[in-house]
Amino acid sequence: MWADGLKKFIKAAIPPVFWLGVWQLAALLVGRELLLPGPLAVAKALAALAVTGNFWLSALMSLLRIFLGLAWGTAAGAALAFLTHFSAWASALLAPAVKVVRATPVVSFILLVYLWVTRAAIPAVIAGLMVLPVIWGSVTAGLAAVDPQLLEMAGAYRFSRLKTLRLIYLPSLRGHFTAGLLTAFGLAWKSGVAAEVICPPTLAIGSRLQAARLALETPELFAWTLVIIALSLALERILRLLLERGERL
Amino acid sequence: MIEIRELTLRYGDKTVLDRFSIDLPDRGITALSGPSGCGKTTLLRVLAGLAVPERGTVSGIDPKRTAFLFQEDRLLPWRTVGQHIADVLPRERRGEVPSWLTFAELEGEEGAYPAALSGGMARRLALARCAALGGDLLLLDEPFAGVDEERAGRMLERLRGLDVPVILTSHQGAVLERCDAVFRLDGPPLHTQC
Repeated sequence: MWADGLKKFIKAAIPPVFWLGVWQLAALLVGRELLLPGPLAVAKALAALAVTGNFWLSALMSLLRIFLGLAWGTAAGAALAFLTHFSAWASALLAPAVKVVRATPVVSFILLVYLWVTRAAIPAVIAGLMVLPVIWGSVTAGLAAVDPQLLEMAGAYRFSRLKTLRLIYLPSLRGHFTAGLLTAFGLAWKSGVAAEVICPPTLAIGSRLQAARLALETPELFAWTLVIIALSLALERILRLLLERGERL
Repeated sequence: MIEIRELTLRYGDKTVLDRFSIDLPDRGITALSGPSGCGKTTLLRVLAGLAVPERGTVSGIDPKRTAFLFQEDRLLPWRTVGQHIADVLPRERRGEVPSWLTFAELEGEEGAYPAALSGGMARRLALARCAALGGDLLLLDEPFAGVDEERAGRMLERLRGLDVPVILTSHQGAVLERCDAVFRLDGPPLHTQC
């Protein structure tokens, strides 16, 4: 039992230790902290950041903005998917627009949106714009895959529209929606932080990242990048658990 | 009497009903028998208003007041046995769920999901759901497929006890023997035999 636990621990520890070693070796070879700081320097920078109130406030505000974007993008994407699925007119008008949004580079959107809304609102707008087509695509695919035999049964058994939605459409969409939401979350996170870097609001991870770059504080730049990765992985895990729990209910 | 006159229906190039006429009783249990693919299911679907014929008339029934049992069970994988029954009952009749489970001999399975049911159990659930929905006429497409003869006989008697006219299709001799009237059809296409 104990030996098994140790084996598992060693197996899990080898990849990060290996990559930390590669990082340290590369830092030693480069020999300049400005270009490539080693893991220890980054850990020190991270520790120094973590004791400041600004660090936590910046992370919290970034999270709030990105979740706001995820929320509106998901709601709008799902609503548009239902609209374009059930109305040929809506599909003819809106589907090409959503496809254009999907094909537009995030940087173009950031610069355009900068003209229209305040800096603080840009990350949420951008995250939502990136999420919308992904959710639209996955919900549209889910709607197209709903079993027509079940829909015919619902009609024959005189289910109301609301009942058909609750008992057939929504459960049928779960798989597509879950996959879409997980993909959309990653996009929201990356695009939201990118928007914060390009149009920095007062309190934001992206603003701190940009400030570190301008001050040539490369260890801090790495530390913020680590924070972004850690938050992304942790939140994706939480989201996945929540979705799995929702599926069991 | 349910009067069917000159029904014609095609699926693409395939003619399934060819000026088909027949009078069916509007009481008791009536069986339609015939080779697979002869058009029995299509005829039932027309009676239920689920298929629209190119021409012809049906009188003596209101399709909106029929209950149709599909040839496939069409159960919802995410709903339990009890929920399948409750889903077709109005709120004030939800208390009837246990009696419909008894009807289908599915007592004790109320919380089970379709994936946990055998083929025969799923068929009985689909039949109970259709019967619970009710109406002026039950249209049952192969209601006892996969159900053993003894149990099918018991369920047929329970159907009779509902006092609602039934038109069913079946290949099972033991089922046909217990019906009040049996019409042997030939096709495809289903046509009026002189």
